[in-house]
Amino acid sequence: MIKAGPAKKVSIYVGQDQKYHGESVYAAILEFLFYRKVSGATVIRGVAGFGADHHLQTDRILVLTENLPMKVEFIETPEKVEELLPKLHEIVGTGLIEIQDTTIVKASESLKHAARQESAPALKHAETAKLMRIFIGENDKWNGKPLHTALIESMRANDIAGVTVYQGILGYGANRRIHKDGMLHLSHDRPMMLSVVDTEERLRAFLPLLDGMVQQGLVVFSDVDVIKYTHDYQEAERRKAVRP
Amino acid sequence: MKLEGKAKMLRIHFGEDDKWNGKPLYRAIVEKCRALDLAGATVFRGIEGYGASTLIHRSHLLSFSPDAPIMVSVIDSEEKIQTLLPFLDEMVSEGLIAMSEVEVIKYVHQEGVRSE
Repeated sequence: MIKAGPAKKVSIYVGQDQKYHGESVYAAILEFLFYRKVSGATVIRGVAGFGADHHLQTDRILVLTENLPMKVEFIETPEKVEELLPKLHEIVGTGLIEIQDTTIVKASESLKHAARQESAPALKHAETAKLMRIFIGENDKWNGKPLHTALIESMRANDIAGVTVYQGILGYGANRRIHKDGMLHLSHDRPMMLSVVDTEERLRAFLPLLDGMVQQGLVVFSDVDVIKYTHDYQEAERRKAVRP
Repeated sequence: MKLEGKAKMLRIHFGEDDKWNGKPLYRAIVEKCRALDLAGATVFRGIEGYGASTLIHRSHLLSFSPDAPIMVSVIDSEEKIQTLLPFLDEMVSEGLIAMSEVEVIKYVHQEGVRSE
């Protein structure tokens, strides 16, 4: 957070139609500043102006190909500005960057920021685990219900940490080897993949159950590093007690 | 076909609009995998992403270019995967191909239902 005292004010002038990787330059700059945690930035659209190419831009209604001047302004500490400049240089292209010395008389305050500082930083939790991927078909059933739903329910009941179901748009495999006249589009039995992350013991303990449910398909394991963030200490402690 | 123990997983990332000989690249890859008799291939469509070009691929309803990110995942033994790589080299002109280790736990299919 920026404090009262000397600081730098950066103004960047670009055209509204200028693009950076398919996106408006001013939007790209704003996004860049936002994710680099600059304390604030403002985009101002000019009503008329001209730049290096001496082409006058206006917002008169008859001029349809308007490329109005845009100005992005932000105020930050000299160190932060120094750090951001190389990337800004790259994004800005033919635009202009100007830096002035300025003095912050009163810094803006954020209620959210004040509240966040009181709470502890996020708890980071890293360990190695296994990632299990299960490839099945959308139409596979278990006891009358869709197999993927049944698998999720049984994993939840067996305290598996978490599972995500992905639906593929095309595919073939052990359970989809029937393709009439060799055509590959089978919109009604799409491939499904379940991805599960938990400790190896937990996943191995679940395998017998899985064996009974998956009649056709593929199950693979791979090693992963789990990096988990949680803000809820109490909940994390409680979980730890349940699953050491 | 038998597949067990250590195997390789190949993931190919590219855009939905990518073409190979006039047909969607993802379909061409799946057909090639099948022609090479690989154990299986699955195509996933992402909802947002960006790649080497840093152009954001997005599949918004109103967007002009619904070039969603596509991922094709292929699992088989290393030798079988290697037979596919030269073709991919030729077919995927822009994208990412990554290979990783996997351990096959289960690979089952009903005998005799395989079509020729």
